[in-house]
Amino acid sequence: MKPSVKLKPAPWDALVILIILAAAVASGLYFWGQSRGAEGDLTAVISQDGKVIQTVDLTTMKEDHTEITVGGAYTNVIELERDRVRMESSDCPTQDCVHTGWISRPGQSIVCLPNRLVVELVGGGSPDVDVVIG
Amino acid sequence: MKRIFAVLSALLLALSLCACGAEQAQDAQLFAMDTIMDFEAYGTGAGDALSDSKAEIIRLEKLLSRTKESSEITKINDQAGTPTEVDAEVASLLKSALEYSAATNGAYDITVAPIVSAWGFIGGDYRVPSQEELNGLLKDVGYGRITLSGTTVTLGAGQSVDLGGIAKGYASDRIAVIYAKDGVTSGMISLGGNVWVCGKKPDGTDWRVAVQDPNDSSAYVGILSLSDAFAVTSGAYQRNFTQDGKTYHHIIDPTTGYPAESGLTSVTIVAKNGTMSDAFSTALFVAGKDKAISFWRSGKYDFDMVLVTSDKQVLVTSGIAGQFEKAEGSGYAYETIG
Repeated sequence: MKPSVKLKPAPWDALVILIILAAAVASGLYFWGQSRGAEGDLTAVISQDGKVIQTVDLTTMKEDHTEITVGGAYTNVIELERDRVRMESSDCPTQDCVHTGWISRPGQSIVCLPNRLVVELVGGGSPDVDVVIG
Repeated sequence: MKRIFAVLSALLLALSLCACGAEQAQDAQLFAMDTIMDFEAYGTGAGDALSDSKAEIIRLEKLLSRTKESSEITKINDQAGTPTEVDAEVASLLKSALEYSAATNGAYDITVAPIVSAWGFIGGDYRVPSQEELNGLLKDVGYGRITLSGTTVTLGAGQSVDLGGIAKGYASDRIAVIYAKDGVTSGMISLGGNVWVCGKKPDGTDWRVAVQDPNDSSAYVGILSLSDAFAVTSGAYQRNFTQDGKTYHHIIDPTTGYPAESGLTSVTIVAKNGTMSDAFSTALFVAGKDKAISFWRSGKYDFDMVLVTSDKQVLVTSGIAGQFEKAEGSGYAYETIG
């Protein structure tokens, strides 16, 4: 019986292994980090007509309290705090958005249909819900 | 040893990349049918499913809108009192609407539309109509005066219908067909509160569907774990206005012409049929707790529900009690209905 094939470990073999290992670990960390980042801080995503116009990371927000005014067919004033958001005022006819009140959990949203404006909360640690009904 | 390491490393590298790719969601948002619609789909057919879904919603809106000149509903209303030939799909949807109206003793009634308009809940110009005005409009409310024979529908003279109470539910049924056709086996849609979850999540677990707390905009009354299910909520808090210190909401009781005062603050229906879920969420909100429970117990229709009462009870029917997670510290008393 002959030994199947030779193969004595050569120095570059070790190098290849190291590179592959490093690449695997790095890519793993990169994607893991990415998804963690997306689900991490509680973030308000403000969109109009289906397009995102601004995102505000509430957790790392500098001020304790801030307001964002959005124009369009109507004017909405969004009030943001460290852990919650509400539609402070709107000159739309229905006021459904203002009546919604404060929202503070990922998955919740405030909609102003007349101005086609949506404020949605995403992130905030473990996403414990996929959708909110009602 | 070295080879094993090499293979392991390569595998790790491959896995770390593909795990992310496989779970990539595609989503879309649409303003239609007087609400906001969100679509999410996973897998290879996702792109097709989203574009086909959007096209379908636009088609349905043209067909069913009461405010669009060219819609089948406008045609029926314009010819109230005389037999009108309608599109087969609309006739079939009217048939379902009439069946659900009869099943709930008119708590859901498609002829209540002129009253809902009088309150401004359709146009957005909210107001309290006078009792005199309501009395006049109430005379023409009554699904029993509608006759449907094949594709010929005849409304009573002066009547006007609106399928708004089931149109979104019907749309969710249609989207379910489209997702299946395009090969999507995991996804979720929310058509202004009409939710459908397709299959399970890409990670194999159930979708987590939270039921809004009617009394606290930033809280839930609980979370439902669902797969392949429709879930619809009707709540007094969704659309309302306050005049002279009194709050009026948008769910009109067809017998009084006033916002329903049934002791319920929200009704969530979970079933395998979106159209039915949509009709029943409204009807049982109007009917109230006791009638809702006996209707469920009758077993005539296959559905489950979560009722939230104004005296802070949450009632969950036994079919979904095992999938319902109570919200800790919500202040609600929870009960399972068997």
